[in-house]
Amino acid sequence: MAVRLWRYGLLLLGLALLGTGAVVLAQEVKPTRYIGILVWFIGALIIHDGIIAPTVFLITVVMRKRLSKVPTVVVAIIQGALVVAGIITLIVVPEVLKKWIGTLSSSILPQNYALHLGLFYAALVLLTALAVAFYRVIFTRRQKLLSSADQA
Amino acid sequence: MQSLLYAFRQALQTPSRNPRTAVALGRLLGFAFILCFATGIYSHFIQDPLPGMHFLTRPVWLYQVTQGIHITAGIACFPLIFAKLYSIFPLLFQTPPVKGVVHLLERASIALFVASSLFEITIGLINTFQWYALFPFPFRQTHFSISFVVIGSLAIHIAVKLPIITRYWAKKNAYDENGEVKPLEEHENDDLVRLPLTDIGIGVTSRVFAWIDRAPKPKTPGTNRRGFFVTVGVAVAAVVGLTVGQSVRPLDFANIFAPRKAGVGPNALPVNRTAHAAKVIDDAMSPHWTLTVTAGNVTKDFNRKQLEAMTQYQVDLPIACVEGWSQMAHWKGPRVKDLMSRVGAKQGVSVKATSLEKGSSYAVTTMEPEFAWDDLTLIALEVDGATLDIDHGFPARLIAPARPGVLQTKWLDSIEAL
Ligand code: HEM
Repeated sequence: MAVRLWRYGLLLLGLALLGTGAVVLAQEVKPTRYIGILVWFIGALIIHDGIIAPTVFLITVVMRKRLSKVPTVVVAIIQGALVVAGIITLIVVPEVLKKWIGTLSSSILPQNYALHLGLFYAALVLLTALAVAFYRVIFTRRQKLLSSADQA
Repeated sequence: MQSLLYAFRQALQTPSRNPRTAVALGRLLGFAFILCFATGIYSHFIQDPLPGMHFLTRPVWLYQVTQGIHITAGIACFPLIFAKLYSIFPLLFQTPPVKGVVHLLERASIALFVASSLFEITIGLINTFQWYALFPFPFRQTHFSISFVVIGSLAIHIAVKLPIITRYWAKKNAYDENGEVKPLEEHENDDLVRLPLTDIGIGVTSRVFAWIDRAPKPKTPGTNRRGFFVTVGVAVAAVVGLTVGQSVRPLDFANIFAPRKAGVGPNALPVNRTAHAAKVIDDAMSPHWTLTVTAGNVTKDFNRKQLEAMTQYQVDLPIACVEGWSQMAHWKGPRVKDLMSRVGAKQGVSVKATSLEKGSSYAVTTMEPEFAWDDLTLIALEVDGATLDIDHGFPARLIAPARPGVLQTKWLDSIEAL
């Protein structure tokens, strides 16, 4: 019963907010601009659902097949590093582009983002390698312990 | 088509794609969205107050913190939303795609939610480095309107999923002894828990899926899930940690990706709008410049010498941009309220400030009485021990506590009691 009330309450709240959004949009943004917003909405869905998600899917499938002999943890570490690199790339590349195009003030985008991105990748590769090596050490030690326990 | 969608959904199964993951991520993302919405609404109304609204003037860093949170929580949304969408990706291929009117509405509301969320965070991020050319719409007004759509469709989404959310809210109810996610009970349909794979016929697609499916199932769902959450955590830490220094000075050393850098700019302070961009250089450098101060029909002009001859106050106030970066600075100049008294303004009225800049939406700003008559509100002539740089508003600018930088009018031409 309580859940039901919450559901209806949230539904009404949501509809009220959507209505507010529509009213505010009508007041603040000229109708000629709506098409631009719509293009962005659809573009966002296409870029995410149509490009990013399938690409990620493909990479995971290929990795799952190729690395089936590699310990799960190692695969997880490498996949994690790839994901982190991907997200940082998505956020930083637009900055690199905009800096290249130019800004109206020298303190907007003042850093060398392309260089920093390169350094970031390098650091990530290093950390990933360290994490894998660390895991291998622990893993082999555990294996040894296990096998010596077996012999005893 | 049907079997293709079904096969897709099968192929996408992995231990980290399950309702418990979706709920755990949804909580974090929902929290970040609410933070963004609350701080964004504050930022909106401090710029465009409704009649009768009053604002806090202390702590002086209030706006710096709210807008810093807005941008920081906003950036954290990127890894969170990708993870969330990853965890529910198979649902995109649910069969049948539409089961009825209610189901259609549900899917439509989710499409709206996903599209508006991706839209909102993407334009927000791009706006922090002012790539306006990408926007076929006015940023501020659009970001404001769509924020209601995001939060509204979030509320509807929670309403629709409430049974699943409550079911998987607590970890102990979500997993069985083997670490497998417990399926939903009885009538609740759940398309995320592993389903048995059926023969989907012969053909290229089915061979592709068979190939995919022959990949070994992860043996340790726990490891897979933990890896997933660690990855999300590291990604959030990376995007936040490497940018938040633009709003939090002690973390400046780690700021390698934010669009602003503390200490970089004239007077060692970042600048959003330059004198050149505002086309004010000639007027601002003119030896005949005066600040016109008006109350009713009393008007007095003050040149820089006369302003410097008034009692000078020194205050530490942050310059806190709507775009999330901020930096503390030491300002010096006469109080606005002293100038107002010189022309006999009635104590406690609002004050309008006009810039030499023409045609910008911030060329004219209104200060509510609580800001105008505050002891810390100055006509700044110096910053950090040096004369204001032309890009920081020479010959004189406003500086008041707990207000966004866009309202700290530069290149002042006049102030007027309302
Ligand atoms: C779900 C997420 C978000 C919501 C609900 C939201 C909501 C809002 C709202 C209501 C405002 C006030 C607009 C106005 O002044 O009329 C605002 C301003 C702003 N937001 Fe967001 N926002 C979100 C995410 C983001 C993100 C991810 C960023 C950037 C990384 C961002 C950057 C900005 C900026 C720069 C402003 C200042 C605009 C201005 O005053 O010129 N927002 N936001």
